[in-house]
Amino acid sequence: MRRPTFLVALPLLAACSGRPPPPATTPPARVVSLAPSITEIVYALGAGDRLVGVCAQCDYPAAAARLPRVGGYLVPSVEAVVAARPDVVLVVPSPGNRDAVRAVEQAGVRVVVVQDRTLADLWASMRAVGAALGLADAGERLVADVQRRLEAVRGRVAGLPPRRVLLVVGHTPLVVAGRGTLQDELVSAAGGVNVAADIGGVWPQISLELVVARAPEVIVDAAMGTEEGRHDLFGGLATVPAVRDGRVVAFAGEAIFRAGPRVPDAARALAAAIHPEAFGAG
Amino acid sequence: MSALLEAAGLRFAYGRRPVLDEVSLALGPGELVGVIGPNGAGKTTLVRLLAGVLAPAGGSVRLADRPLSAYRRRELARRLAVVPQDAHLEFPFTALEVVLMGRAAHLPPLGFPRARDLTVARAAMQRLEVAHLEDRPLDRVSGGERQRVLLARALAQEPEVLLLDEPTTHLDLRHQAGIHDVLGELSRSRGTAVLSVLHDLNLAAMYCDRLILLAAGRVLRVGTPSQVLTAEALGDAYRTQVYVGPNDATGSLVVLPLVRRRG
Amino acid sequence: MTLRPPYLTARRLAATTAVLAALLMLSIAGAMLVGPVAASLRRALVDPESADRVILFRTRLPRVLLGAVVGGSLGTSGAALQALLANPLACPHLLGISGGAAVGGVLALIAGAEAITAVAPLAAFAGALVAIGVVYLAARAGGRSTPYALLLVGVVFNVLASAAIMLLNVIASYAQAHGVLFWLMGSLSGQSWGLIAAAGAYALAGLAWLAAHAQDLNLLAAGEEGAAELGVDVERARRAVFVAASLLVGAAVSVSGMISFVGLIVPHLIRLVLGADHRLLLPASFLGGAAFLVWADALARTALAPAELPVGVVTALLGGPFFLFLLRRELGRGAS
Repeated sequence: MRRPTFLVALPLLAACSGRPPPPATTPPARVVSLAPSITEIVYALGAGDRLVGVCAQCDYPAAAARLPRVGGYLVPSVEAVVAARPDVVLVVPSPGNRDAVRAVEQAGVRVVVVQDRTLADLWASMRAVGAALGLADAGERLVADVQRRLEAVRGRVAGLPPRRVLLVVGHTPLVVAGRGTLQDELVSAAGGVNVAADIGGVWPQISLELVVARAPEVIVDAAMGTEEGRHDLFGGLATVPAVRDGRVVAFAGEAIFRAGPRVPDAARALAAAIHPEAFGAG
Repeated sequence: MSALLEAAGLRFAYGRRPVLDEVSLALGPGELVGVIGPNGAGKTTLVRLLAGVLAPAGGSVRLADRPLSAYRRRELARRLAVVPQDAHLEFPFTALEVVLMGRAAHLPPLGFPRARDLTVARAAMQRLEVAHLEDRPLDRVSGGERQRVLLARALAQEPEVLLLDEPTTHLDLRHQAGIHDVLGELSRSRGTAVLSVLHDLNLAAMYCDRLILLAAGRVLRVGTPSQVLTAEALGDAYRTQVYVGPNDATGSLVVLPLVRRRG
Repeated sequence: MTLRPPYLTARRLAATTAVLAALLMLSIAGAMLVGPVAASLRRALVDPESADRVILFRTRLPRVLLGAVVGGSLGTSGAALQALLANPLACPHLLGISGGAAVGGVLALIAGAEAITAVAPLAAFAGALVAIGVVYLAARAGGRSTPYALLLVGVVFNVLASAAIMLLNVIASYAQAHGVLFWLMGSLSGQSWGLIAAAGAYALAGLAWLAAHAQDLNLLAAGEEGAAELGVDVERARRAVFVAASLLVGAAVSVSGMISFVGLIVPHLIRLVLGADHRLLLPASFLGGAAFLVWADALARTALAPAELPVGVVTALLGGPFFLFLLRRELGRGAS
């Protein structure tokens, strides 16, 4: 889950990354997932029936909504996790869960940590989860499948000149996706160029005038919730091509922020917003 | 001489701790009355009750035959002024601005000081020898100067009744005498009713028309200095041996604590 | 400082206010020309289709004006609170009043208030009022608000408010969770003209109300008892200051989040130069606070260009050391 909810706590990303999980002697039968993206991967591997506990925000696929909750993505409940008697706990570092994960480890439960910041992380995490569940082959097949679907999106927009894109995740303050984020890579895959890539920082806060200066052709507005009902933030910026041509696209839903098997769907939605002409719509 | 300020049967307690018990007094125009007594006797509380900033648990205070509660604060401030022991003036008001605050009750809410207000304020500062501090911020003056500025503020109110709580604590001898001269003059020539809490019994003896001896929240004695300042009354109140003798220099009394000589 | 006359006259009030207003106008104009993007005023005026015009009048102008409104609100409320509590260390942020307002605003948003213009400022106003009440009662325990008591109460209240905001953050859906940075660090960008106008109206109303009690505030600055003895109806004055200050802080926080220290720094500096008479101090704190925040925000948007700092970070960096310096002075004075 890639919500920049606690920008001030970003440096809390766990250091325990990239370490291959110890090989399981028998495939784990009881699995706990502490991130919505991991839950989706587990289901995509066909192992959804092994899940005995998921974080509160795990809502896809529909079956996951019926699984027992063990706390939140930000702050999981150590007791609930341990009480589920898992054979393995699958975790993505979030701004708040480092202490909880450490406590779970100290309780003697096997923990597998995967990253979700880039596409490379995505492939690695699918393989790692596959391996952890004793489904290494399924993991490889999943990676291949998702990569193929992503390539299909790339192919759709291949010949088209890239469009200048700004991906907004917050209105007040105005926060955008910078270089080094999954979203930045998806924009590139979708035939766009991220105008905020050079600003520095993964989720830079910028002034509205910078939007005017960078003049994106498409604004993907993924800021949500309380932002609805506010006045149109970009409405008065008549010289910005995205505003002038009516290409400020609202992106509801979490898909664009989850490093999971639905990434190609997010890429496709982005591509449809950036290059509508390649998708039949106007 | 009818009483201008009257208190009858005052009772007060801070929480469960009783402070004053059945205190009555009467203050008439032109009188200079001193309130003396040991620490914790309730003297400051008495002043606050007389000023109307505290409400008594029992008894009443009347000014010109009306209960204090019947007065609006503005009206009361035009007739009764209080000089506190000290004021924490953390803000850089100038001495003149502070004294002009005494005129606030005479001015409309947003009114700026008129010529008369300035005259009264400056005259008061002159009287108390703080005129030279006019534009000095009050957080830059000594304790003694601040006390005199506060007294000037009270004078600027042009009150009929003046209440003071230990007005000479920070003052040197010359200024102590000076304050009492001012108070004496106020009461004699202006007819102001003055009530002052004093810790210096000798000055009390010299300047006051009447004394009220307060101890443990009760009035022990009321009367002229010679009536109140007796060795046994003072010994009772202050719980220590006291010497009272004639003051040949001034014609009043001299009061000294009896301390065992060394050696 | 003896450069100024020993008391305030109507003429000096009018003249000084006029000068400060002029300085504010200049600041607004100057800050409009400052930003991470170079924009030409000439081109903006000449060419109605230019990006310069959009930048100057659609992105910078609303932001600068909002900064003036919020800065003025915070400056004035700071001055009034200092007088009411007879303590020069009082400030809406330090005392947790901004925190209370923020909690009110967040609650309103989570409850689904989409009519931001009306409901959130009112909820913030209510939150600020509750906070002021708690602070006042707690700090009066000793009979006089010592620096310690006030600061402690404020710190605790702030911690509570931040915790409340983060709690609401966690239990609310992720859709609403993003605004936490706005509330905790402040932002002056992205508000509609309607909201700016509403905030401005609240600000002027609050200022006028406080100004009507300026003389009372002068007397209250020496303590409530002293003020009563000088003729102030303390109950009424206290109520008026509570409500007016809550209105000012609530309006400011609801449109810009919590911006710290403006209410501490500005009145203090104004008092040093112009004196403590509130008839001048209140309008001067408004105009000075406005200019201060306008420049602080100009700094916030240029210091790390092309990225931007939250404006609350700038005011905290300026105000924190200043507050420590003041605290040392206050405690040193109390000890003597």
